[in-house]
Amino acid sequence: MSTATPILSVRGLVKHYPGAKALDGVDFDVQAGEVHCLLGPNGAGKSTLIKCVSGAVEPTSGQVLVDGEPLPTGTPSASLAHGVATIYQELDLVEDLRVYDSIFLGHEPRKLGGLLDRAQMKRRTRELLERLDHANIPVDARVGQLRPAAQQVVSIARALSHDVRLLIMDEPSAILDDNEVETLFGVVRRLKADGVGVVYISHRLDEVARIGDRVSVLSDGRTVATGLPADTPPDVLVEKMVGRKVEQLFPDRATASGGGADGAAAAPALELRGLARAPEVKPTSFAVAPGEVLGIGGLVGAGRTELLRLIYGLDKPDAGEVHVHGQRLKPANPRAAIRTGLGMAPEDRKSQGLLLDWSLARNVTLADLPRFAPRGGVLSINGERQAAAEQLRALKTVPDDADRIVRELSGGNQQKVVLARWLLRECKVLLLDEPTRGVDVGAKAEIYGVIANLAKAGLAVVVVSSEMPELIGLCTRILVMREGEIVAEVAGDEATELELLRHAVAPTDTAPVLEETA
Amino acid sequence: MSTVQGAAPRRGRSLPFKLPARSGLQEYTLVGVVLLLLIVGAILEPDAFLTSDNMLNVLRQASVVGVIAIGMTFVIATSGIDLSVGSMAAAASVAGGQLADSGSLMFVLGALGMGVLLGGINAGAIAYGKVVPFIATLAMFTMARGLGLWMSDKQPVSIFDLEFVRWFGNGEVLGIPSAAVVFLAVTALAWVLLNRTPYGRYVVAVGGNREAARIAGVNVRRIVFSVYVISGLCVGIAAILLSGRLASASPIVGNLYELDAIAAVVIGGTALAGGRASIVGTFLGVITFALIFNLLTLMDLATEIQQVTKGLIILAAVLIQRRER
Repeated sequence: MSTATPILSVRGLVKHYPGAKALDGVDFDVQAGEVHCLLGPNGAGKSTLIKCVSGAVEPTSGQVLVDGEPLPTGTPSASLAHGVATIYQELDLVEDLRVYDSIFLGHEPRKLGGLLDRAQMKRRTRELLERLDHANIPVDARVGQLRPAAQQVVSIARALSHDVRLLIMDEPSAILDDNEVETLFGVVRRLKADGVGVVYISHRLDEVARIGDRVSVLSDGRTVATGLPADTPPDVLVEKMVGRKVEQLFPDRATASGGGADGAAAAPALELRGLARAPEVKPTSFAVAPGEVLGIGGLVGAGRTELLRLIYGLDKPDAGEVHVHGQRLKPANPRAAIRTGLGMAPEDRKSQGLLLDWSLARNVTLADLPRFAPRGGVLSINGERQAAAEQLRALKTVPDDADRIVRELSGGNQQKVVLARWLLRECKVLLLDEPTRGVDVGAKAEIYGVIANLAKAGLAVVVVSSEMPELIGLCTRILVMREGEIVAEVAGDEATELELLRHAVAPTDTAPVLEETA
Repeated sequence: MSTVQGAAPRRGRSLPFKLPARSGLQEYTLVGVVLLLLIVGAILEPDAFLTSDNMLNVLRQASVVGVIAIGMTFVIATSGIDLSVGSMAAAASVAGGQLADSGSLMFVLGALGMGVLLGGINAGAIAYGKVVPFIATLAMFTMARGLGLWMSDKQPVSIFDLEFVRWFGNGEVLGIPSAAVVFLAVTALAWVLLNRTPYGRYVVAVGGNREAARIAGVNVRRIVFSVYVISGLCVGIAAILLSGRLASASPIVGNLYELDAIAAVVIGGTALAGGRASIVGTFLGVITFALIFNLLTLMDLATEIQQVTKGLIILAAVLIQRRER
């Protein structure tokens, strides 16, 4: 397959973020007229890779060659000038603009005197849509009126208006239903026939064989397989995706009976009965025992975060109940949840968990302030600071100076501040959403230790994570969510990444669920 | 740059004393500004400026906008804004005036009641109706003004006979103007409320990160509601001080008070985006403007020059804040 110079060639690409390696040696190439699929679990580095190629992000080291020539890195305009265009997962179209305006946004053809050349825009738009076999899209329509698939075609047409030779598509099928996916594939085949190289990123294994020519697999920032033929069996691909080493990060596994050893059928600490919120969460029931760490796995968008938010009362459920230690929670009321013993560490610490410009002490005590204002309602600032410092020290937070500003801490230590808040509050059920995202390996191990200790002390912990080794290493039981419902339950000591991933990705023989209704 | 690791260098380490918080810096700066103004004033107007009479006068004049600015501090701490305070002050004054025949106490209750009522309407629209604070209080800005004119038939009412109300305008406590005493008392209470109670902490949390506050169990809606009521209450108090000084209840007072109050809050270091609030800063901000106004008046400089100066100070203060961040 190395007869011609590839359109795109990525060599030893490395990208370090503070405290994390997003890419750690990526190699792959794309030929003209080829569809090269890119697979990888969440957090494997796919988005970073795209951003490096499209110029949105500057790689730490390594090369990106277009037609054998190095691409200037970190400049989106240079990438575009070299004929590299990207279609992101969330369509970045302005809904109020008309189709032809959207396509030429930023490089509008002008008439003498600088006025827009509408006639030319419309004519060229028609040509582009025809080329994509979509002449039926009205050029005068506003983008917001089009169905998602049509919007995507407009996005592709916009890329083509730049004389594109390499098109990167980030999970283009994620927002499409089955018929629309077929339409998309038709467009991709046309591009192929025109000699355009396509990088096609997807979670859906079945799509690889349907549209791809070759496939590369990314895992932990490395290409673990590059340029395999597209008819590689899906099982082999899944193995490649999970084939990384699991480090010795995990403490002894919590057992369901750990907290309630005396009573085998201990009353559940947390119980869901048909909890639902359309369309993200279908009716869901499960129970968590004291001392148990329950994992929830699945792909991004499977409804895991939405489920946690429902339990905690941040969103209003359509139906169902949440019980904590036998007590029914008032729906959609986080304060009631906290009073009953729930605590939550949200997915995005910075925007939802913490007040970044506040001191550690204030962040830790926020959920339990009245305790420090017993008489006359006046806060004891010292008592507050001491209690916070005690929790921070117990969690080995660095630094544990309670007066420091949270913004100055690393991701792992910021997470400890959130945990310290709920330890201070003495909560009984802890909901953790991606507790180790953006946390370096050392701090990860510490956070795992904390979670295990809490479970040992009788707390029920629910962990949502996209990192399967984390779920397997940490959890008593693992539930797998797909498209808003729990599709599997696996015991933690029996689970394998292969099995979890099989449950998490849509099986090849069933149609993907409609994400959008007309 | 300082978000990377735990060992990031800490601002202010080299100072010989410990800064309580970042807004503390602003407060120290403002103390310096006030001292500088006193020195400059003493040089430019040696006979008239730095006398106890004049200083007490400055305090008295500052007290009306001062009390309003204290209430505004709570609003801005939640990243809100209250544009209606000037109009509400007029409406509150008129409402008191309507009850003037029943005596001073009824005047006071009328003014406070109207302030709380109108503030409560702002609060309801913003906290429960989800109207943007700027728009909700802009609507109240014009409604309250109209209400005041309507209730009073566009005529001021003399309250010359209400000794007690007039005492707020020209009385004294131990030689200090009573209006200034009220201003100082409101400031002290507000300081405790904002800095030493769970409630105050929630107010700043809601402004700093609404979602994080909600997840930590703060009743965000109730907090947002409460700050506009506090603002209305402070307006009611200010209306009493103002009416007492003018010895009348007038529907045309309070013009541009909202801007004076917001300016004082902002130069005091409370972030318009919320999450950072300083009562001491607001107090010093009010005093700064009052001193400048007083000095320029003593120097016989025209009001247009005063306006330009005020604008320059606001701009400079905000620029300094930006650099500090």
